[in-house]
Amino acid sequence: MSDEIIQLETPFQFNEENKKQFDELIGRYPIKEAAMLPTLHLAQRQAGYITPAVMRHVADLLEVTVMKVKDVVTFYPMFFEEPVGEYVIRVCQTLPCALRDCKVVLDHLKEKLGIDVASETNLAKGTTDDGKFTLMKVECLASCDVAPVIMINDDLHKNLTPEKVDQILAELPS
Amino acid sequence: MVQERRILYEHLDVPNINTFDVYRQHDGYKGFEKAIAEYQPDDISKMVMDSGLKGRGGAGFSTGLKWSFVPKDIEPRYLCCNADESEPGTFSNRYVLEKNPHLLIEGILICCYAMGIETTYVYIRGEFTLGKKMLDAALEEAYQQGYLGDNIKDTGINVNIYTHPGAGAYICGEETGLIESLEGKRGQPRNKPPFPAVEGVFMKPTVVQNVETLCNLPFIVDKGVEWYTEMGPTYGDARFDPPKPDQNTGTKLYCISGDVNEPGVYELELGLTCSELIEVAGGLRGEEVKAVIPGGSSAPILTHYELDTRLDFTSLTLAKSMLGSGGIIVMNETRNIVDCLLNIMKFYAHESCGQCTPCRWGTPWVRDIVQRIADGEGRQEKITRPKFGIAEGGRWGDTGETEEIYEDLDLLESVANNIANVDTMTWNTICVFGIAVSWPAVSYMRKFRPEFEAAIREGKLVTLSVEEATVPPEENYAFQQRIIPKEMSELA
Repeated sequence: MSDEIIQLETPFQFNEENKKQFDELIGRYPIKEAAMLPTLHLAQRQAGYITPAVMRHVADLLEVTVMKVKDVVTFYPMFFEEPVGEYVIRVCQTLPCALRDCKVVLDHLKEKLGIDVASETNLAKGTTDDGKFTLMKVECLASCDVAPVIMINDDLHKNLTPEKVDQILAELPS
Repeated sequence: MVQERRILYEHLDVPNINTFDVYRQHDGYKGFEKAIAEYQPDDISKMVMDSGLKGRGGAGFSTGLKWSFVPKDIEPRYLCCNADESEPGTFSNRYVLEKNPHLLIEGILICCYAMGIETTYVYIRGEFTLGKKMLDAALEEAYQQGYLGDNIKDTGINVNIYTHPGAGAYICGEETGLIESLEGKRGQPRNKPPFPAVEGVFMKPTVVQNVETLCNLPFIVDKGVEWYTEMGPTYGDARFDPPKPDQNTGTKLYCISGDVNEPGVYELELGLTCSELIEVAGGLRGEEVKAVIPGGSSAPILTHYELDTRLDFTSLTLAKSMLGSGGIIVMNETRNIVDCLLNIMKFYAHESCGQCTPCRWGTPWVRDIVQRIADGEGRQEKITRPKFGIAEGGRWGDTGETEEIYEDLDLLESVANNIANVDTMTWNTICVFGIAVSWPAVSYMRKFRPEFEAAIREGKLVTLSVEEATVPPEENYAFQQRIIPKEMSELA
């Protein structure tokens, strides 16, 4: 059994640039463990999602147990333990956006991409087959004045209508 | 009509205000320079205390008082800036971070100078990628210009500011949750006491302040306490003789969203009424105001009878609600309150950190009850259940008696009140998340009971007219108990 797990895993190591960033990060805190969140963000950006190998590497770097890393990864919604699409679309659905018809935007995206909304435990059902998009709901994105809003990876898109969504998706670099 | 009073947001729309040079041209770092040139650290603390500045993050706790709790003999001390803005309806910090990050840096510098702090962590929520980028760029400029780092401006003061990204958890906005998260753990709040001021991040004295609170500091130092206290009402606490002044000084970045014509952030002096604010925000979108949430989704809702409530810390607390983070959400006559509550309860059920049992189980339970009512499957029958209370031997437990609970509405109130009791203001959880759940649940249900009853009776969501949906003032618990505070000048 254990041999099988080792075979399935792709090994993980920070690349040169991220290693340099990590070394800078670690100097900011009096204890190494405190660099956990920024390190996991870096690792996720490099690996796409947090695999067991990533957790092991981060645990080694921060001198904590793998379980402690897993503990943190499972708590925060921004860390993925399964593969996600190239573009992660986060649709805000909290009250101020709901009052401005975010449901129309969500339904339009569901129909256009032909996928369901990903849940935290099942990201696959919200990911397109070609691995390009992952559609998920999030809680308030703190942009209630320009509701409804969505975030595509790091970019916020405001005052959306189905037509605007079409335009934004068409303009994404493939 | 009430005029905007832009202080924190005065230069927000100046092009390139995010760069050091432009910020300098608009009186940037003047407050900090004045602080180090003219005042001793203790003078600054005294000024902040005298200014009556209250924390803008939610609790409204006096900033000067918070600073006074920090022991001066324990080194190092830390400052954590709370930029984990995730309360639904609040979005003012985002604009400061994205457009005018140097203002925040200046505020942090003044706080660090006053408290003798050398290290600051700015905890920015993970979704604020642009805000973090802008702040990081501004920090780099400030380091280059010698406003950060070692021996700032030859005064012997050292300050380092680091940004720390969150990862999407609402609870990390709670100060001890933020500290746990900053230490690289799950963001589960700590038991208090010890308060962070005594034992915070890395077990050292820590000041935790919201972005907006820190942004007020440069203006208090630069323009003086007298200028600052002229803004906003000062009420007299009549329980004392002579009345003790209760300050609500300064401006507030009111974030207004929902059914208004021009949603956005409006910087106004504290103490205007709810209807005045709706007027400022371009008026209502729709015919009638049905309900207003005055301070982020955790705050108890206000009905159209309560729109004359002044939006400041004291008045809203006495009206059985709270100003919180100043996120005002307006709902017009087409909105269904059951639907709105369902949305909010889904939020809380998702965001409960899972540390305390009443909240971990109670929050999804409340959500399920509201979901059931919204789906038209609300229960009308009576339920008999064991009665809990002071049992034999004086211990809390099963009394051996039974009590009858009517319908889902009483169940809803009972579950919510057992997470945190809104009448006695006691909570069975470690942090105030519990009260943030039961406040909306109970207040929506009590104030708009006819709409909940209609949904159960008809078996579907029914949107009643504003008059029909709202409980009349004489049956409204908050309206009956509310106290309208008097200003000092009126009392004299």
